Amino acid sequence: MKHLRLIAMIALNFVREQRWPILVLQLSVLGLAALGLLSDARDREDILLTFKQLGMYGVAFSVFFGGSAIYNERRSRRILAVLGKAITRRDYLSGLLLGVALSSALFTLMLGFTGTWILCPLGFSFFYLWHLMECVVAACVMSASVALFFSTHLNPWMSALFTGLTLGVPGALAFRFGGFWEYILPLYTLGRVFLNASYEHPGMSAGWAITVALLETVILWAAASWVFARIDVAVAVD
Amino acid sequence: MPAVLEFQDIIKDYRALFRRRTVRALDHFTLQVEEGEIFGFLGPNGAGKTTAIHLAMAFVRPTRGHGLMFGKRFGHAATRRRVGFLAENVALYHRSAENLVRFYGALNGLSGKTLSRRTIEALDNVSLLHESNRNVAKFSRGMLQRIGLAQAIVHDPDLLILDEPTSALDPLARYAVREMLLDWRRRGKTIFLSSHLLSEVELVCDRIAVLNHGRVVRLGRPADLLESREHFEVIANGIPMDGFPGAEMQPDGRIRFLASAASQRAMIERIWTQGGEIISVSPHKRSLEDLFLELTGGPGAEPRSSSKQETP
Repeated sequence: MKHLRLIAMIALNFVREQRWPILVLQLSVLGLAALGLLSDARDREDILLTFKQLGMYGVAFSVFFGGSAIYNERRSRRILAVLGKAITRRDYLSGLLLGVALSSALFTLMLGFTGTWILCPLGFSFFYLWHLMECVVAACVMSASVALFFSTHLNPWMSALFTGLTLGVPGALAFRFGGFWEYILPLYTLGRVFLNASYEHPGMSAGWAITVALLETVILWAAASWVFARIDVAVAVD
Repeated sequence: MPAVLEFQDIIKDYRALFRRRTVRALDHFTLQVEEGEIFGFLGPNGAGKTTAIHLAMAFVRPTRGHGLMFGKRFGHAATRRRVGFLAENVALYHRSAENLVRFYGALNGLSGKTLSRRTIEALDNVSLLHESNRNVAKFSRGMLQRIGLAQAIVHDPDLLILDEPTSALDPLARYAVREMLLDWRRRGKTIFLSSHLLSEVELVCDRIAVLNHGRVVRLGRPADLLESREHFEVIANGIPMDGFPGAEMQPDGRIRFLASAASQRAMIERIWTQGGEIISVSPHKRSLEDLFLELTGGPGAEPRSSSKQETP
């Protein structure tokens, strides 16, 4: 229980510290709502496209949140006052990852509610819309865990580069060969399901991809914890 | 006295990624801090003081050797519940002073009424209770240092590790912190204090260690360290000033000069043969600043006596 309390405190603190970017994301979703209010049913494809774009922005922001979380804390030296307390590095990292997940969940909930309000009256399946939201959350959390893993020992630029490669290469292989590669960091698969959805043919279920993404998030979290426990946090990030 | 903090033959090298050059911050660093003492940690910039503190707090890992805190290896998270830490150039989250101290107290396992009571006490201890609702982003540097101190003491730790705790404080606040440290020692707490303020260290510390180039170059009680065994101060009456190098007349007409340990006997015999009267011969007492400059190679320093260690 003590561990969970500490993790929750770090997570809520992360959300609090990132409140402005999160607010900007939420406001961007309001843009979708405005589009829905100002458009008529003939523009429904445009509205769906905007909805999909926003979902992708959410994933990009998760990478940004995950990749900069540790770096910002180290650069500002705020990490010293936190890790100087009775908290393990694994719990600290878990808190950061949970914080990113909460931020993504807040964004996805907003997107889901707005989508329900705007898209469902135009004919998009309610249940499939929320399934797509599950895909977005899974993609956000998995991408953030990749970024968090690299940010434990690399600066944000290198972290972003390696995160892009790590997510992109299996995606490219899955696109070319399919099969096994669709199980390795299934961002491509989740993205494909999300982007291919339409009013007439909502799309396929991505249940297995969501499960694999969450399992791989746990593996990445364990790897990141192992690395983070072995690095010097009080020195500048190279 | 059991050791609260132990550094055992630690080497710490820093090496940048993809670069071959290493910088040795600590070189076979060995030190023990005993329970109930205020231990002063001195050294010039880059001597390795902050690295040693960061090792104790497990922010960095030793290249070789290891250390113990309350008998547990550095990095044991639960042990840090007994430790309060204030970093040099403290950096804290921007929120109200009370919420900030509550946050750090909660990270150390406090909750409910205990957390509320300890938060108020900690803010009161650093004279910031009247500012408890103000955001720390609007605090001056001195106030930030005090709120940093409050977050370090909120959970009533047994060991306080303070890196330059009074560097940004005005004389009044510095005095208050000094009184607080002395009060903590009276309560049986241990304080490990790194500071550049030599007068402060001399006033409050039971033992001090001087660090230079990652090594302890002197360790002991201030009184023992400041008493020179190489030079003696001789005060005499009825002798000519010009017969004794460096002699000076005191307001009461007595002559005072320094004699090296080797020449002490000859000087005393010379005073007698010249018909003088010896008032006193006592070990020469240096200031901590003199000792610091001597050990760290500052201006006017004598050749370094390197890794000599004195035990109390």
